[in-house]
Amino acid sequence: MTGMKRCGAIVLISETLLLLTLIFTPRIASAQGEEVASALRRYKEYEVSTGYYEEYEMRPRHERSMVAIPGVRHGLFRYSPSAATVRIRTRLADSHLGIKFYDNRRCEDCHPKQALDMHTVRANLTCRQCHGGEPIASISHYFSPMNPIRKHAYVCAKCHEGSSASFASYVIHEPSAGSMEAKTNFPVLYYSFWFMLTLLVGTLAFFIPHSILVGLRELLRKKEKEIKDADEVH
Amino acid sequence: MKYIKRFSIIDRVFHLGLMLTFLIQTATGFSRLYITTNWGKKLCYLFGGYENAALIHHRWGVIMMVLFLVHVIYLLPKIKGKRIFGPDSLVPNLDDFRHAWQRILWFFGIGSPPKLDRWAYWEKFDYWAVFWGMPLLVITGLMLMYPMVSSRVVPGWSLNVASLLHKAEAILAVTYVFIVHFFIGHLRPSSFPMNEGMFSGCVSLEDSLEEKPAWVNRLKEEGQLELATGSPPALWFRVLYFIFGYAALGFGIYLMVNLIVYSRYVSLH
Repeated sequence: MTGMKRCGAIVLISETLLLLTLIFTPRIASAQGEEVASALRRYKEYEVSTGYYEEYEMRPRHERSMVAIPGVRHGLFRYSPSAATVRIRTRLADSHLGIKFYDNRRCEDCHPKQALDMHTVRANLTCRQCHGGEPIASISHYFSPMNPIRKHAYVCAKCHEGSSASFASYVIHEPSAGSMEAKTNFPVLYYSFWFMLTLLVGTLAFFIPHSILVGLRELLRKKEKEIKDADEVH
Repeated sequence: MKYIKRFSIIDRVFHLGLMLTFLIQTATGFSRLYITTNWGKKLCYLFGGYENAALIHHRWGVIMMVLFLVHVIYLLPKIKGKRIFGPDSLVPNLDDFRHAWQRILWFFGIGSPPKLDRWAYWEKFDYWAVFWGMPLLVITGLMLMYPMVSSRVVPGWSLNVASLLHKAEAILAVTYVFIVHFFIGHLRPSSFPMNEGMFSGCVSLEDSLEEKPAWVNRLKEEGQLELATGSPPALWFRVLYFIFGYAALGFGIYLMVNLIVYSRYVSLH
């Protein structure tokens, strides 16, 4: 009986230890130790997980010519005011970490504006086709496929063959051109919008009344002339 | 009735080329901008769908660009010293502002109409509006046509700006041409039913004396009026350009009406 008891205690202790080790072991990730797998398989694995890439494959470069992202400033200045609201989530491995009922939500429930860009509306792309499966890493997370250091190669180049880092700085979810959001995040877009609108409104504000007055005045002159001609006949 | 020459055959060919390319570019371009609406879809079917409309837009855009470049080359030898600001030149001068002010007063019955020379201020505006719009549309158009190449030279986010500028300039040009230019060319009482000068190349002396007295006087002083007693254009030719002009007018108004009606369903991006 004592043997049985001892056996039970061993089982209990080992089970507790096993549970404890399960808690403290890292999550199972299939990407680990895959250096020898085929490139295609590695790429797929990379897409399902947040992606693990050896540092020698892709390192951020500090001096890249002609590459800049509107609204994102490195170094001298702080984040833009609108970025401050999402600052806390910009460097997470799972950007939606801790969001309640996340599984039952659709992307556009929380990101309605982002579902109205050209890629979604015109090309019928789904969010996942660029942002990937769960968990979706934050854009500034070091290993995120959306990180500007590799976005052009891992996201844009899926459709846009030969895309460069500069090409990838095209803003897909661009702010509404005339909005204050654009003024802070994309000033060039904002000022070109208001410049063109001023030009349009200015041109039409002069030439439409001008045309109407031309028409009216010439009509009256025609009438005047007809009356004059009629008087001369009599 | 005497006729005086107003446009050379080259000017008229340029205008004809611009008309054709402009209408094609408007129809293909806006069918893509309005693709999310029913009307835009129908118009796009006409050009073989979304992709094909872009292809046509690109090809005709290049033709338009080449026409513009040829026009600029054609202009170069015409730039000669003081004649740039002369009455036969389209370059705006101080007289134009005076004329505009005088004419606005005349609209309200104050004073006499300005003594306009060959090119009135609104005609000069017509010309320069196209001239400034064309490089903008060509540069942004080429950038969008070859995004990979252009993003090597300029940052990729300038494609956002290029796309906005291209659309905004197109809206500006289309609105101006289909409302103001058409009204001036066809619908105002002194032009109705059609200002034939740009197609036949000549205008009647009577009409010119009324609207452009300074031009007629100048021709008289230079003794060119006696020489310039052109005959009216042939009837078959008039029928031809009336049909063509009215087809363009009808198509333009059809586009403009639909662009306004459906404008609330589209955004610039």
